[in-house]
Amino acid sequence: MISKQPWHLRLWAALLLGLLSTGALAAGNPDKPFAEKHVVLQISDPDPFKQTLVLNVAGNLVKHYGPDKVDVEIVAFGPGLRLLLDDNVNAGRIDNLVESAQVRFSACENTLAKYTQNLGHEPALNAHATHVSAGVVRILDLIDQGYTLIKP
Amino acid sequence: MYNTRTCLAAVIAATGLAAALPSQAANWLMLQGTEPAGAAERARIWGFIQPEFQYTEGTKLEAGPFSGQDAIFNTIGPDRDASSQFNIRRARLGLRGQGFPLDSNTNYFFLVEAGNNGITKPGGGLGSLKLTDASVTFNHFDAARVRVGQFKTPGSEEGLKAIHVFDYVNFTSVTDGVLLERYIDADGSAPNDPNGPNGPVGAFRDIGIQLFQSFRQNDWEHSYAVMVGNGNGLARSDNNNEKDIYLYLSTEKVFGGKGPRRQGWKGFVWYQQGDRTLTLAQGTDSTADDVEEDFERKRWGVGTTYLNGKYRAAAEYIVADGMIRNGSDGGAVVGALSNNGLSRASLNVLPEDEADGWYLDFGYKIRPDIELDIRYDRFNRATDTDPAERRFDTLTLGAQYFFNKKTRLILNYEFREAEAPNLPSSHPANQILDGMDDRISAQILAIF
Repeated sequence: MISKQPWHLRLWAALLLGLLSTGALAAGNPDKPFAEKHVVLQISDPDPFKQTLVLNVAGNLVKHYGPDKVDVEIVAFGPGLRLLLDDNVNAGRIDNLVESAQVRFSACENTLAKYTQNLGHEPALNAHATHVSAGVVRILDLIDQGYTLIKP
Repeated sequence: MYNTRTCLAAVIAATGLAAALPSQAANWLMLQGTEPAGAAERARIWGFIQPEFQYTEGTKLEAGPFSGQDAIFNTIGPDRDASSQFNIRRARLGLRGQGFPLDSNTNYFFLVEAGNNGITKPGGGLGSLKLTDASVTFNHFDAARVRVGQFKTPGSEEGLKAIHVFDYVNFTSVTDGVLLERYIDADGSAPNDPNGPNGPVGAFRDIGIQLFQSFRQNDWEHSYAVMVGNGNGLARSDNNNEKDIYLYLSTEKVFGGKGPRRQGWKGFVWYQQGDRTLTLAQGTDSTADDVEEDFERKRWGVGTTYLNGKYRAAAEYIVADGMIRNGSDGGAVVGALSNNGLSRASLNVLPEDEADGWYLDFGYKIRPDIELDIRYDRFNRATDTDPAERRFDTLTLGAQYFFNKKTRLILNYEFREAEAPNLPSSHPANQILDGMDDRISAQILAIF
């Protein structure tokens, strides 16, 4: 039976199906509409060298694919959250990654609560850090959206 | 599109590199006294080992009451028993970091010395492990960080810089003569008192409290330090109520890089002042009828360093007023019995004399793993007393081979000359100084 739908509705439906099939809407970041790679980087180690490493990896991804073609989010939890403390020595590099390539940084609230308990006050976080309820949950959500998890 | 993307990526990489310059690890004050905020370990183990060989011809004293005996300047320290020897010059093990990693406002620095040198074995005798550094730094205030404990005092570049990036085996004569302090009880005038060191050499360190900070202004970095300390050397309490003060100012045009080999052009000035207590002999030994007296010790200097690519240079002018170390009696090894059997050689100090000196230092990397070095230094000792004045000139030719960033070989040949400029050449003092040998040294430096 031939559909009675107007032809333009069928056209839009076909376009939507096409986009979904190409995965263009599978991993979404409105700020990165042309991103072809979606990467979530995990930082959860106490080793300060890992802080440098995860920023280097983010920088290298941007350098290779270009700022428009890659969508990077760094999720920090556990000892790795020190990267996103306001006075961290790498704050300048974080600024550059955010401003030049829209790299996003997520800070685990569970870890922040633990830091607050240990310090006796809530530590100030980097202004670029977005609070997420749990770092590991944020990673799982991003994986569900099509992101690739890398733990340098 | 591709070009735009490449440019953007290059900008990101470049700005990232620029931002990576450790604003808190920018000079010796910062490198030794602070840790990178939020990125320091609870306890980082580190250290270095310096096995070495040094050689002189061992020319004996050619005049004076100890003629024919070993000349102290032709023997190798700290034991002064031989004119050539293998030695473990330094072997240091340290810990540093933020004991509570979440709190970037406090950090610590701990270092012990297990080598064979003036710290562990001053004037011979049994060696022992010695604490060289133990300090805590509080970084709560923007205007001043506070460091308390035992650590390097703000002062001469040669003394303040980390020894594991020192480009030669031995210090310049002026640094060794007036800055690397030996602590002795008396002025050495008592003929039967050897008057050897009563503790470790100062090693450019003191116990006290320091306020310091660095301020970055575009490519320039300005630093200051003010310190108050005991002025009585390492790992022991004060021996008088007079405290030493230390002042330091520097400004540096930073070219790039980071850490101890950061490239830049630095100018600095420093000043130190304190009192030392000496026992002045009234008789023939240092026991009966002796009196204790305090003497002022002042040191100041001005200098510059430059490091850019293959080229390295440094220069410094140093002035000393008071507590001028004046060698040993007759140039003999401390404790030696004179040929007539009437006196023992002692370390001497001229408590109210003056001295000055300078050095020029150049280095050039002919390959990434080989650097050639040349340094000329002069030390004018006891310039306020004509007969006592001595002039030391040393030209050091050096080469460094870098096995890697942490391990290198240092080879030095020192052309050494000394004279008593206000005495005739036939005077015994000049005959003795004519016997000063050149010195050859080879040292391995391994950092871990």
